[in-house]
Amino acid sequence: MKVYIVEHAIGSFAYDEQGKLIDFVLSSKDLGKVVDSLLDNEKGIPLPTTIELIQKIKPEEVVVENEAEIPNLQQLGVKASYEIHNLGSRIFRESLPKIAIETKFASSENDLYSFLYEVSFEYTRRKLRTAASKRDLLAIQAIRAIDDIDKTINLFSERLREWYSIHFPELNKLVEDHELYASIVSKFGHRDEITNTGLDEIGVNKDLSTKILDASKKSIGADITDVDIRSIKMLSDTILELFRIRSELTDYVESVMKEVAPNVTALVGPTLGARLLSLAGSLEDLAKMPASTIQVLGAEKALFRALRKGGKPPKHGVIFQYPAIHTSPRWQRGKIARALAAKLAIAARIDAFSGRFIGDKLNEELKKRIEEIKTKYAQPPPRKPQEQKRKEEERKGKKGGREKRKGRR
Amino acid sequence: MSELVKISKTQFENVFQCEFNDGTVRLCTKNLAPGFSVYGERLFKVEGIEYREWNAFRSKLGGAILKGLKQNPIVKGTKVLYLGAASGTTPSHVSDIVELEGKVYGVEFSPRVVREFLLVAQHRPNLFPILADARFPQYYRTLVEDVDVLYVDIAQPDETDIAIYNAKFFLKNGGYMMMAIKARSIDVTKEPTEIYEMEVNKLKENNFDVIQVIQLDPYDKDHAMVLAKYKGK
Ligand SMILES: C[S@@+](CC[C@H](N)C(=O)[O-])C[C@H]1O[C@@H](n2cnc3c(N)ncnc32)[C@H](O)[C@@H]1O
Repeated sequence: MKVYIVEHAIGSFAYDEQGKLIDFVLSSKDLGKVVDSLLDNEKGIPLPTTIELIQKIKPEEVVVENEAEIPNLQQLGVKASYEIHNLGSRIFRESLPKIAIETKFASSENDLYSFLYEVSFEYTRRKLRTAASKRDLLAIQAIRAIDDIDKTINLFSERLREWYSIHFPELNKLVEDHELYASIVSKFGHRDEITNTGLDEIGVNKDLSTKILDASKKSIGADITDVDIRSIKMLSDTILELFRIRSELTDYVESVMKEVAPNVTALVGPTLGARLLSLAGSLEDLAKMPASTIQVLGAEKALFRALRKGGKPPKHGVIFQYPAIHTSPRWQRGKIARALAAKLAIAARIDAFSGRFIGDKLNEELKKRIEEIKTKYAQPPPRKPQEQKRKEEERKGKKGGREKRKGRR
Repeated sequence: MSELVKISKTQFENVFQCEFNDGTVRLCTKNLAPGFSVYGERLFKVEGIEYREWNAFRSKLGGAILKGLKQNPIVKGTKVLYLGAASGTTPSHVSDIVELEGKVYGVEFSPRVVREFLLVAQHRPNLFPILADARFPQYYRTLVEDVDVLYVDIAQPDETDIAIYNAKFFLKNGGYMMMAIKARSIDVTKEPTEIYEMEVNKLKENNFDVIQVIQLDPYDKDHAMVLAKYKGK
């Protein structure tokens, strides 16, 4: 029996000479595995799903599209030949979404295409990685620039609020978001130019809109001239421009991070990932660190103080920003931080030295571990007498307590 | 800066025309990734919808439309295999036109420009970036499917052969090919028109009906866009 074998990211499919689908093996949804096998296929290695399929249906003869595979297929003991765009592949590629759904690879077209989207990104980044050098340093500078911009935005926003409050003091409390505040100043200038439709255009909801308009009518602020407003607007325009640059840089960091450190990024996201690289100095430096160092990266001050004074060492550095850490009860945080740091150490090594993507697997394992911690340590531990005493001191407002908090940031 | 005064439909689905108060008229498309400009083009909002200016000097498809393309096979829902995606300038407009119902598989082999292309595709769920050599479709066969339109702009001497080879793999019967021909990259000693005719003949010999050959000057000197229909394998 001669079968056409069609190979695709979603699996391998066998068609008979009448063009009937006789059997198939679906690929796993593990991005890293899928991309590995696609890259191997370019070197002539049949997809793992193809090998499984051949072992399952034991055909006498197979027809594939990739000539380079033929010797490897023959080693499996089947006659093999190649024909591009053969009967099988024609049928398959004509109706990919239908087949993906019928074979239950995907639950919907959307499901299929978001998988293919992820696969093509990872496939492309993986190929870029081999051409990359020192790109981690680019991500590091970009994240530092973002941090600088944040500081500047805060500084400028404070100034803007104070300045514009001479004219419209009520706005300061009503709008806490710096970007929205600057947008309002830039768009309207004078408080009596503020309109409902205008606020709607910049995304202010009805409720807040009413409050702002109301306040603008009753404002106790001073009247100022167009010239005054123009100067204030220069500052608000600059703030908005900084926000725009920030969002472009964030995008850029995401793209570079997914290319140079895909596994670290899969675990903690591009921003925190880049901060870790930045604190370590480079991807390679991060890869050389033991998990225990990664865990407290960014809390060096607290760590050295603890070493010097013999206090408690910090449980986490910058990885405190990881949601599962800072949203968990205090007594679970150190354990989660340790679990995360262990995974990060593995991720950084793979990113630095092999470039394979195992982010899905790492995330899965980490999630499981966090669940374990959450069930096992659901209750706070009983307080040790000594700790009790310290807590009391803290309540009385002694210096030690404050310092400890600062170091933990 | 000039301000937008009017936006209107063109004869092609999802391709718009915008007029500015200084009298200039430009093409534009509805932005599938609102807020993001791809190559510095202007964005503007009309009745809650964001449009992106489409610079015909930067995009051969834009140039072809302004130079009298008779028929645009790229519409809402079209699946496109795009060879030579570069940093994503034209692919981004194609992605706008086909909307989320359509798909654009963008093949590009230069790592440097692919990095920029990734930044564009990052905000466009219908744009699939593929770093690969268009000479070897058997490699990216695992990532794509049959398409309604094969768009080719790779500026290689053997571009037409590569295009035909890809059509055999992935172009549906009755599908369309759009190919930008850069005369200079094929043969510097021959007249451009002579070269266009040569390439067109190759297409005819390979089961294509050639519908139109559009010279792209002044948008692109010594370039032409060929629109052809595939009669099947
Ligand atoms: C003229 S540019 C394309 C511009 C793009 N179509 C646009 O309008 O935005 C040609 C691109 O084709 C790419 N290219 C050339 N040969 C290629 C090949 N064999 N496979 C893939 N891409 C190729 C080049 O790297 C270059 O980026």
